[in-house]
Amino acid sequence: MVNNSRRLSSIFSALADPTRRKILERLSKLGQCRVTLLAQPFRMTLPAISRHLKVLEEARLIRREKDGREHLISANPEGLKHAGEWITHYVTYWEGRFDAMDEILKLQSPQRKKSS
Amino acid sequence: MKSEVKISENTLQMTRMFDAPRDQVFAAWKESEKLETWWGCSQTRKVESKMDFQEGGEFCHTMTIEGAGVMPYAGKFEEIIEPEKIVYKASFGPLDATITVEFIEVAPGKTKLVLTQVGFPDPTLREIVSGGFDAAFEKLEKLLLQTA
Repeated sequence: MVNNSRRLSSIFSALADPTRRKILERLSKLGQCRVTLLAQPFRMTLPAISRHLKVLEEARLIRREKDGREHLISANPEGLKHAGEWITHYVTYWEGRFDAMDEILKLQSPQRKKSS
Repeated sequence: MKSEVKISENTLQMTRMFDAPRDQVFAAWKESEKLETWWGCSQTRKVESKMDFQEGGEFCHTMTIEGAGVMPYAGKFEEIIEPEKIVYKASFGPLDATITVEFIEVAPGKTKLVLTQVGFPDPTLREIVSGGFDAAFEKLEKLLLQTA
């Protein structure tokens, strides 16, 4: 559960950046491509692009294959499509609400015997 | 995690025991002033709840969320069986979900709550993957602030 939540927040922090969203958008059009081709429309150095790619890779939103010295990058739609991530999100949400309800209900009946 | 969780394709079911009589647990969902005390995530500073608590009646829980401003969680009650069951449809940002809350008295002063949420924003995720990022993104970011 904790790992899932962490995974989800890594996805969202990866996607919070507009450059990284553009990278993913470009990948969804190009399919698998070399880093140099991917980087073309961005006014950035290759190391700067690589840093963005690393964040996306850690969030498992892209895949990287090595072809000699070139790195081939492709989008990993599974990273986003997996409904389980959303469910995890809601599990955390409702669990938090139930905890709060529990507290409130306890305050409402202070005379009630403590449960073991 | 104190709840029992069941997950299928687009359904989430959470079961939680409360050491409180069923009427009280039900009232926490029925009465605005009670709901305001527990609704909203940890960043929520204020909840203002308006409910027309009857079948077909509408509700709106307006949350003031740190970093995201004022956000409504609004919907309509589909079915109400007091004090056993509440079914409502709600939307928040890109999400439309049907939520069923069942209140089961397992012993005097002990209530089992079963929450079933159906409907997840797969279309939104597809939208993000296939382009049309930004609009969907703003919504997701807001959603995240609500549930983080």
